[in-house]
Amino acid sequence: MPGKFCVNLTCSGDNKDKATVAFVVANAAVASDKETMVFLSTEGVRLGSRGYADDINEEGFAPLKELMENFAKAGGKIFVCSPCFKKRGLDENNLVAGATIVGGAKLIEFLSVDGGSPCVTY
Amino acid sequence: MSEPDAFYDAGSMGCGELVLELRFKMEELKSGQIMKLIALDAGAPEDLPAWCNLTGHKLVKKEHPEYWIQKK
Repeated sequence: MPGKFCVNLTCSGDNKDKATVAFVVANAAVASDKETMVFLSTEGVRLGSRGYADDINEEGFAPLKELMENFAKAGGKIFVCSPCFKKRGLDENNLVAGATIVGGAKLIEFLSVDGGSPCVTY
Repeated sequence: MSEPDAFYDAGSMGCGELVLELRFKMEELKSGQIMKLIALDAGAPEDLPAWCNLTGHKLVKKEHPEYWIQKK
């Protein structure tokens, strides 16, 4: 069943539970043949940096690094908010697999064209 | 019904982890082949039929925790 799905994530190390569950749900979407995108903004952008998720491992779930790698391996896209990324002094040459630096227009495009997209927020 | 062509014991894995691993395993099968899956997670009885509905694979047997899924 075609279609898109967006997971909007505003947390990282400040809420490891939400950061983990967001990628579990994203994996459910990409596994279900949805064109899936995780949008990282505010504190969520830290997950766009390679190595940041290495120590996040919530009870009952696979390590977040593994969840993110599997997501990218399955074709999931990670969009990282540019101004949020810059504000935090992060290195755009050190992104995780599947990540692209974008602006708000890319989010709006994903959510509104070609039939639109449902979106869940963590 | 044919016997399964492959076996995957997902143990207690659930939710997105389960269906994504299952997707990777199903990619190894040819169209029409059957995967025998063991999934202990309490959400599996609802999630696996939903996943099959979304992906087009056919749930040919459902006797929790045992599921047989035929690749589309």
